[in-house]
Amino acid sequence: MEAHRRTVRLMAWLGPSFPVGAYAYSHGIEYAVEAGLVRDRDTLATWVRGILGFGSARIDADLYREAWHAVHAGNADRLAAIADLGRALRGTCELAAESAAQGGAFRDTVAAAWDGVNPAGGRSAPVYPVSVAAAVAREGIPLRVGLAAYLHALAANLVSAGIRLVPLGQVAGQRVLAGLEDDVLAAAGGALARSLDDIGSSALVVDWTSMQHETQYTRLFRS
Amino acid sequence: MSAVASPSDTPRSGGGVHGVAEVGFAGAGPAPLRHLYQRDPMRVLFPAQPVAEPPLAALVTTSGGLVGGDRIDVSVSVDDGAAAVVAAQAAEKVYRSSGADCRIDIRLQAAAGTWLEWLPQETILFDRARLRRRVRIGQAAGARVLAGEFLVLGRIASGERMTRGLVREAWEVRRNGDLAWADALHVEDDLPAVLDHPAGFGGARAVACAVYAADDASARQPLARQLLADLPPGVRAGATVVNGVLVVRWLAERGDAVRTAFAAFWAGFRAEAAGLAAALPRLWHV
Repeated sequence: MEAHRRTVRLMAWLGPSFPVGAYAYSHGIEYAVEAGLVRDRDTLATWVRGILGFGSARIDADLYREAWHAVHAGNADRLAAIADLGRALRGTCELAAESAAQGGAFRDTVAAAWDGVNPAGGRSAPVYPVSVAAAVAREGIPLRVGLAAYLHALAANLVSAGIRLVPLGQVAGQRVLAGLEDDVLAAAGGALARSLDDIGSSALVVDWTSMQHETQYTRLFRS
Repeated sequence: MSAVASPSDTPRSGGGVHGVAEVGFAGAGPAPLRHLYQRDPMRVLFPAQPVAEPPLAALVTTSGGLVGGDRIDVSVSVDDGAAAVVAAQAAEKVYRSSGADCRIDIRLQAAAGTWLEWLPQETILFDRARLRRRVRIGQAAGARVLAGEFLVLGRIASGERMTRGLVREAWEVRRNGDLAWADALHVEDDLPAVLDHPAGFGGARAVACAVYAADDASARQPLARQLLADLPPGVRAGATVVNGVLVVRWLAERGDAVRTAFAAFWAGFRAEAAGLAAALPRLWHV
């Protein structure tokens, strides 16, 4: 497939209008706002930077890389094993649901709307990064390009949740996102240099906010 | 940093020991021990337990601490309806490494109808320590496993902070061979960037987790939340259920605060979930 078509397809699949339901998930930010941990533009930027650098995004990026290589090598068993790991490797109930629901919606939507694209992998629907990586690899989209786009979309969704919850203006949100460009690229680059032996995260306070969110009294978001 | 290194700041020479402890319990009779193997620096002791308490195996590291290149393999199995508690005799120390990782591998195997507790004490990481710990739980349906781990990063009581090193703690729960839950805490190199980050450790230096893998794990979430309702000041804790595994975490700046909260939870949980004493083995308090 020619390069421009690949770019358009990547933008379509990772754009905010792609119906994976991303707007419904805050990744614990709803509780972080209530607890005063995220309260303005700077604290939102710091929070999202942490998730990109050493939170779920660090795990997602490694799963993405492994799934992409498995598809690229035509190794279905390997892809299924990564899908299993991705389903298990979730810190909380709501973070697991967030990734599973988006992974399933992504796979089903791509399969239903794009002729000739078969993004399936594993027994049941893979988590979001594995689902995206499998489809993207089959389209011949390079690992680094698709991974950076995935991480950007993840950051953009967290910022979008943040500006609705703090609340902040649209321009403030875009300034946060602009300031995270280097972090997105560094997160992608870091994953390409890592092995599966070092998969993991250390955003323990994010996990804690996600656990607290389960019993938060007033909730707009599912995570 | 002080120019004068205390003896314990110096990596022990000749790192690379391989300690092994294997202990297997089966049945509910007076002598439920079925298998025992130990290799230095690991020792297994069997302190007397109060009546109506399961047998206790206490693990001792006789070397006084671990260094880079050291490896410890612990394997515990419970079969044939056995109940057992395996606990650490004392806090574990992991000294500064000049490069190699210290590896601790823990395997817990529980057959149907068994109860197994894996009860740690603190693992204290000195600055520049490198630890890779892995806890793998394998269980059949109908087995109940309550397992914990407890890390203190730096000798915080004496003001030491971890500046560099590796802290890796990975968990895996398999039910009838299928991966149900996995987790990996991984922090490397510039540790303060994560430990002081509000989304990272948020200033915490002591972290603990407890995992309850059992058919009734989801049903025990309200109990877990109730046991976390009254926490010591400065402790953040929460409970969640992922793929049928109950996961509880504690975070605090101070190790003693986590210790208090962790012990209170553990005692209360075993009492409610298994009808055992609302207490920890005596060695935990010595």
